[in-house]
Amino acid sequence: MPFHGDLLSRVSLVVLLGLLAVAVLGPWLPLGDPAAVNVGPRLAAPSGEWWTGTDSLGRSVLPRLVEGIRTTFLLAGVAVMGTVALGVALGMLAAYYRGPIAELIIRGADVLFAFPSLLLAILLVAITGPGAPGAVISIVLICSPLMVRVVRAASLSVVGRDFVVAARVGGAGPVRILLVHVLPNVAGTAVVQATYALSVGMLIESGLSFLGLGLQPPNASLGSLVHEGAVYLPIAPWLVLIPGALLALAIMAVNLVGDGLRDALDVRGVEVRR
Amino acid sequence: MNPETDPSAPVLALSDLVVEYATRHGRLRSLDEATLSVAPGQIVALVGESGSGKSTLGMAAGRLLASNALHVGGRLSLAGRPVYGSGAVDGEPLRALRRDVLGFVFQNPVTALDPTMRIRRQMELACRGRREDRHERPVAELLQEIGLSDVSRVLRSYPHELSGGMAQRVGIAMALRRRPRLLIADEPTAAVDATLREQILRLLVSRCREVGCALLLLTHDLHAVAQHTEQIAVMYGGRVIEHGPTAEVLDHPSHPYTRALVAALPGAEKPGQRLEAIRGIPPVLHTACPGCAFAPRCPDALPECRSTRPVYAAVGGRKLTCHLHTGGTASRSAASARNGADRDPADDADRDHHGQGRRTAT
Amino acid sequence: MTLTGGARYFAGRLATGAATLLAISVLVFSAVHLVPGGYAEVVLGPTSSPEVRAALRAEFGLDRPLPVQYLEWLRHVATGDLGVSMGTGEPVSDQLIRRLPVTAELAGLALSLTVLVGVPLAVLAGLSRGRFGRGLSRLAGSTAMSIPDFVLGSLLVFLFSRFALGLPVGGHVPLAEDPVANLRAMALPALTLSVFGIALVVRTGRDAVAAVFNAPHITTALARGERMAHVIRHHVLRNAAIPVITVLATYVGYLMGGAVIVENLFSLPGLAQAVLNGIRGRDYATVQGLVLVASAAFIMINMLADITYAVVDPRVREGHRR
Repeated sequence: MPFHGDLLSRVSLVVLLGLLAVAVLGPWLPLGDPAAVNVGPRLAAPSGEWWTGTDSLGRSVLPRLVEGIRTTFLLAGVAVMGTVALGVALGMLAAYYRGPIAELIIRGADVLFAFPSLLLAILLVAITGPGAPGAVISIVLICSPLMVRVVRAASLSVVGRDFVVAARVGGAGPVRILLVHVLPNVAGTAVVQATYALSVGMLIESGLSFLGLGLQPPNASLGSLVHEGAVYLPIAPWLVLIPGALLALAIMAVNLVGDGLRDALDVRGVEVRR
Repeated sequence: MNPETDPSAPVLALSDLVVEYATRHGRLRSLDEATLSVAPGQIVALVGESGSGKSTLGMAAGRLLASNALHVGGRLSLAGRPVYGSGAVDGEPLRALRRDVLGFVFQNPVTALDPTMRIRRQMELACRGRREDRHERPVAELLQEIGLSDVSRVLRSYPHELSGGMAQRVGIAMALRRRPRLLIADEPTAAVDATLREQILRLLVSRCREVGCALLLLTHDLHAVAQHTEQIAVMYGGRVIEHGPTAEVLDHPSHPYTRALVAALPGAEKPGQRLEAIRGIPPVLHTACPGCAFAPRCPDALPECRSTRPVYAAVGGRKLTCHLHTGGTASRSAASARNGADRDPADDADRDHHGQGRRTAT
Repeated sequence: MTLTGGARYFAGRLATGAATLLAISVLVFSAVHLVPGGYAEVVLGPTSSPEVRAALRAEFGLDRPLPVQYLEWLRHVATGDLGVSMGTGEPVSDQLIRRLPVTAELAGLALSLTVLVGVPLAVLAGLSRGRFGRGLSRLAGSTAMSIPDFVLGSLLVFLFSRFALGLPVGGHVPLAEDPVANLRAMALPALTLSVFGIALVVRTGRDAVAAVFNAPHITTALARGERMAHVIRHHVLRNAAIPVITVLATYVGYLMGGAVIVENLFSLPGLAQAVLNGIRGRDYATVQGLVLVASAAFIMINMLADITYAVVDPRVREGHRR
């Protein structure tokens, strides 16, 4: 298994798997209905009965947190899948075809990359309107340029190697070469980069939701829970601090697992973009 | 500040120095009781294959070993001042000793210079004198002395704009700027264009002679050794196995390994010849070698060569570490060497990470 | 030789920056024209009659082909005319001038904190070798890198208001009015933004310092018997600066997004707040103008960083690196 002797990465993996299990199993956990109002008193502090307290509408916070974890991972996950599909395809193409196609892809990525990320997200939400689709598209557009760069760099070193040249001489077409020969060799790089994209995606989605531009009520993500709770921060801090802490924990676990994967697969990823 | 150095003492003296590297795969023994002495002003070649420990020996002289290097036993002193062993200097005195006694010239002259600084600035920084040096010599003069013609252009350049030969000349000028007593040059011509090697080497030797500085030349290149050095010391498996006057040793090598080295040399007309034509592979030691490290490859090995460590002893006009030659009789068992029975007790306190704790395994 | 190489490098950077800026202007322009329903419906509301909309379009030149509109807009932008807010009727450039000092001060404070705290910590971390220290700095570093700014900010607001720790947790006092009160009000927002920056600088700087320390020229300097302080000051810091400059430029990009969050959280009347209000109020002219200005600023800062590398490391100019 990966993560030999790296305690921090192994602990993170356990935390991440735990959170993912909660996200997947959430709807079947006996925690009550996240949308049901007035099931308890309003703004009750965490106690034996209400583990994580209740909100201003008397909803139990616990099932809403579970839904928040689920949504946060789901939105970022969908966006990362989009990022991987787009980034890997464009990155390999830019490496395989020199000339105008590659130039166009690289310049396009550079322009998107030159945009401050949250600003790009805000501009996009201005077009799409607040909601999950805007958030997902934002994440894809913010994370793809880096994915393209990293995958292209990894592909370039593969495309020049003898076995690819041999395949080309043997009559293999570009699709076959890219899928059979190049893709397996850049997969590790893409996976590592995808974990970083996941953490960036969670940050973008939660940032938008915190500003009220992401997920809209009654749906809940960890970011929108913080947004909803922000008004009550002085009197009901648990509404903000618990989802906030969960969010930080989740992002950190993803980042550290990414570090562990990078070391285990011995590939280079570029993480810093926020 | 000024270390009290003894002008008559050997500028470099090692006795039974043992250095190991802590690596992921356990300990690697790089020096296995190496003994060597360099007299003031002497030009000495230290010859051996990669992995024989000669670079470790060179860096140990300045206590510049990587941070995973461990001093296990033995002593090393510079101009009479202990660097490893009991009473070893450290901190400020060590720094002053490096500054006043030692000079280093490294293998890759370009990377040995700061990439972000023009040559003039680096040289001025390096030459900022002790207060007693009233009249500091301009750096241009230093460069003229080492035979650079286009001095003003070199001074304006960044290291990457210089050729290997030019950069190495700058490196030599910087190393000799304080007239050190010992210059250690580790493969100084390996990264230099082949046509310039001879020139650089001649410059190095002649500058050392002029200044009266001893030179320890670490090299593979037997041909260069034959022409330029007075003494030759041959290393194998972390020990010095033969040490004597260059001409004598090369004409009549005593140790079977030296003999093989000389025999592997196709003739004097091939400068830059690397030493690799000997059957078998050099040893990788994890602890003290039980016998002679060369025994497995030695055509004349005796039974005791594998079981008993030969001692380093004077035979005729040279020093030898070999059972085949007188003085090499079993006087110490392998066990006593392994247990470090005759190690200086003070050394135990010294078994820590050295080299300023600044480098990781390389 | 060096000069022409250097001049070519600078010219190349300038050209790339200008091209990127142009591309971004197209992006920003088309973004607003991609809004469902278009400008006119947004201004006049969905119930407005087609005739009225057409009149408005004609008035603002919206009925002309897009490339013509774009060039027209660009011409205005070039003369400093960023359009008029669709909410308040105030020129966007006036808003910019009024609100810029707040955001600039916030970003400047956060950047200063990042550099003043991050760089010394990075050097210390780079020089220390203990495994424990490395693990601890990694844990602290990933925490600081992972905690979203609005979570950190909320935590600070909560702690400082609940326990009355002496700093205001919101509101703004103009610098000219009362510098001390201004700084006190800015302290927590700037701190919130700088935590990520410090973590970034420490992480990058630590690796850079450690890498430079393994470089042969450092061994050479130590072998010459130079003092450690001398070696660090003259040979380590300058060499380790380049990755740190890169990461600081990235950080400025983050600051522009972070400012939106922090100005919102601490109720600061800055530019980012105006962008946010613009989106909520569908005031596209404001969003368009301010996002363009912010992007231009970011591109220029990146260009500045590129030029700084070339000054710090002569090899960059001649394409030996990067």
